[in-house]
Amino acid sequence: MKLALVGVGGCGTRVVDQFVRAEHRTGRSVTNGNVLAFHTESQPFDKTQTLTSDQQVLLGDTHPAVLRRDTSPPAPHGEQTSQPPSGSETLTYTDVPSSESDQATSPTGTEDSSSNKSDPDSFGVGGDPDIGAQVAKADRPEIRRALDRIDETDVTATMLVAGLGGGTGSGVGSLLLDELSSIYETAVYALGVLPAGNEAPIRALTAARGLQTFVPRTDSMFLVDNEAWRQDNSAIADSYSSINKMTVERLLSVFGTGERAGTPLSEMRIDPADITRTLNLGGVSTIGHSTMTLDTQSVGLLRRVLSLLRRSSSSVSTPVDATQIKTLISQAVQSKMTLPCEITSADRVLLILTGPPDTISRKGFETGRYLLEEKTETVEVLAGDEPVQKSTELTATVVLSNVTSVPRIDNLQQRAVAAQSDPDADTSVASSAHSQQSYTLSVTDQNSTQSHRDTQRTEFDFGEATTDLDTTDSPDNET
Amino acid sequence: MKLATIGVGNAGSKLIDQMLEFEFETGRNLCRHALVINTARTDLAKPQHLDEDRRVLIGDTHQKARGHGVGGDAKIGAEVAQTDIDEIRRVFDDVEIHEVDAVLVAAGLGGGTGSGAAPVVIDELQKMYDEPVYGLGVLPGTYEGGRPALNAARSLQSFVTKVDNFIAFDNDAWRSRGQTIEQGYEEMNEELATRIVTLLAAGEVDESEVGENAMDSSDIMRTLDTGGVSSIGYASTDVTPAKEGLLANFKHDGESQSESTDAAKIKGLVRRATNSRLTVPCNVSSADRALIVFAGPPDVISRKGVESAREWLEETADTVDVLAGDDPRPNSSTLAAVVLLSNVTETPRINEIQDQAVDAQNKIQEQDAVREQEIQSLITDEDNDLDPIV
Ligand SMILES: Nc1nc2c(ncn2[C@@H]2O[C@H](COP(=O)(O)OP(=O)(O)OP(=O)(O)O)[C@@H](O)[C@H]2O)c(=O)[nH]1
Ligand SMILES: Nc1nc2c(ncn2[C@@H]2O[C@H](COP(=O)(O)OP(=O)(O)OP(=O)(O)O)[C@@H](O)[C@H]2O)c(=O)[nH]1
Ligand SMILES: [Mg+2]
Ligand SMILES: [Mg+2]
Repeated sequence: MKLALVGVGGCGTRVVDQFVRAEHRTGRSVTNGNVLAFHTESQPFDKTQTLTSDQQVLLGDTHPAVLRRDTSPPAPHGEQTSQPPSGSETLTYTDVPSSESDQATSPTGTEDSSSNKSDPDSFGVGGDPDIGAQVAKADRPEIRRALDRIDETDVTATMLVAGLGGGTGSGVGSLLLDELSSIYETAVYALGVLPAGNEAPIRALTAARGLQTFVPRTDSMFLVDNEAWRQDNSAIADSYSSINKMTVERLLSVFGTGERAGTPLSEMRIDPADITRTLNLGGVSTIGHSTMTLDTQSVGLLRRVLSLLRRSSSSVSTPVDATQIKTLISQAVQSKMTLPCEITSADRVLLILTGPPDTISRKGFETGRYLLEEKTETVEVLAGDEPVQKSTELTATVVLSNVTSVPRIDNLQQRAVAAQSDPDADTSVASSAHSQQSYTLSVTDQNSTQSHRDTQRTEFDFGEATTDLDTTDSPDNET
Repeated sequence: MKLATIGVGNAGSKLIDQMLEFEFETGRNLCRHALVINTARTDLAKPQHLDEDRRVLIGDTHQKARGHGVGGDAKIGAEVAQTDIDEIRRVFDDVEIHEVDAVLVAAGLGGGTGSGAAPVVIDELQKMYDEPVYGLGVLPGTYEGGRPALNAARSLQSFVTKVDNFIAFDNDAWRSRGQTIEQGYEEMNEELATRIVTLLAAGEVDESEVGENAMDSSDIMRTLDTGGVSSIGYASTDVTPAKEGLLANFKHDGESQSESTDAAKIKGLVRRATNSRLTVPCNVSSADRALIVFAGPPDVISRKGVESAREWLEETADTVDVLAGDDPRPNSSTLAAVVLLSNVTETPRINEIQDQAVDAQNKIQEQDAVREQEIQSLITDEDNDLDPIV
């Protein structure tokens, strides 16, 4: 379906740019130029490849607390949160983990600098979401002008993308969501990134607050958990590019389905309405994904034989049998999702099978779909396929909509509460680098939320079917 | 007979298209008017035998449809049909209703558009016309899951109370093993179209050729008059079509066969049709009325055979209301027997769908009841110490 993308903050800007790049690479057309990025500092814009200057919106020019790299530091906000780094004019922010700016913002200066790469520096809003929100309020006219560049009639929904731990991401993002939901009649989604356990506690606090702010303002909020996806023991910033790649690939598998030029119409096509209906519950969503490589040798050979015989491929037994497809689909929910969660807490589910349609066993598709219904304990599983002729890969993408049992979020909230009550950590800048060890919590799966659900579950009442069910044309009685 | 046909939703539209194709291929003339209605623009492009102005997009201004389908939500399917009912009625204006005997509305009962919009359309047709309105409904397979089952169980109630007869097709019974996704439903749709067209197109032969044994449209309508759910059986056999000066004959290796073997073949064909995979599996003896159409070269239809077949069905279906007649097709190389079992009351699949639907409805209600509270507790910390940003 067609989707407008609005990135905010460093994370949002990068993910949106990556998404548009992936659209070009895979020949899909989802955003159609309906792309914007908002930030309070310009550097992340400079590193993008696809965003036109029209699509980059720099906010906070008039706000005293917003620090620019290229101008002399304004005093006021620095005293509240941090000192501007010395020699800020000459700083170049590179992708190398230990940069000057990191050290400059680290009070101890002795900390392994690579762990601070994702910590707030003093540019932009300096990691403070409340300042981010103030900036956005002050710049509302500019925000509205920018949002006017999105053609709402061109898209089915709009998605805001932000690092929830970011002062700009969460702060400006909150106000942007208010704007989006008041001007658009169409669905508004968000994609939020949760900070890893080894990021500064303020990131956890901002993210937990951001989550509270975003979720009620969206039709659905996708989450990506940096902790689950970071490479072992390295600084989170080193994993950005791999996480972003994974994120974008999954988003495209969902929203890009059916948007490739020249794809044949599938019998079990996913309509945009299937996606929006899966998502329109509110709450948090997560995406699972699993790919298998088809035995190209046999598929290729089969095709060659068929073309020699001038026969349609339909008369030949399928190279991918039902069991393999069922396995692929169950892997998609059992492997790591963008946000790990208790899959039985899902409210609705969407399944998309992407691959060469002439090799996919229908029985496998159907039993795999049914398996999802059982595994996720929901009866609302919409499923379809995206035919990609001649592809040598088969991918199952599963969206779990409104998952409510998420140990990662409980853990984030605990870190946030700890950060809030720690007097040293109540302001933004990297003030808590000393507590590095203590907040690298092991994220063990907790069963607390699970048991709550279990007690709620009641046995089905098998009533007399014909009298229990309403007819379809009495809308009053629906659900 | 002569029909005005309307396909609602994706499955319904494909079925009407398939019926038209079968008609063209076999030189029949059943569907005098054909119309498809859908909420998804892409699906409307699929039919190959309908003109552009015979495809109606509804709900394109509805916030939750916008030309993209209704995502399996029957409530929205019904809502948009209600909203756009004037537009639907306008397309019916072209239909010269006195030229047709009945209206047939086809839909997939598992989908949101088919299950929701079709009953609204049927209501309107019943208000507008005195002619009978028949339903042709596809029941979703078990593996499609709870939501399609719930849509179908609820829609079935609407259909059955509103139409003059509901002909059911069970996707589960027709699901075949080795298929790929690409092949989709094509085979099933062909099977269904063959049955429904062969049955209903009877009684449309050239007046001069009509023999006393020819089936009449009014016989078919009388059989369907029971209301309820009906099922169709079908069997065919190859015959040698009539050549100049010769009679058509059953295909056989040896010399010409006696009258009694021909009669046995006719009866065997009907038995095969009745015991074959029915459009919806049912207990044949629960049928209220039944009807047999023999479509093929009249010479091979032995009167004796027809009568003994009719008697056999009377016994098997446990009803005295069994009509039999011909649809003479002199140049045809097959002889087909179609058996209509009207108002069958023992259909295990429908009970299963209803059970699955009740489970689904309970589950959905259970989820609805706790949804807001669960989201709230997910996004707030245990002691509610954290504040939102704005
Ligand atoms: N997965 C991923 N996470 C990122 C990326 N960039 C930043 N993050 C995370 O997102 C959160 C916010 O970082 P930024 O987006 O840089 O912050 P901001 O909103 O620009 O504003 P400040 O807080 O002022 O830096 C942190 O927890 C980061 O770890 C990225 O490209 N990918
Ligand atoms: N026999 C048969 N069944 C079909 C076909 N297409 C879909 N179905 C069935 O019909 C149901 C889906 O209905 P559709 O007609 O595709 O959906 P729709 O009514 O257009 O409604 P939405 O897609 O929800 O907007 C499922 O239960 C399928 O099993 C078909 O060509 N033949
Ligand atoms: Mg559809
Ligand atoms: Mg909680």
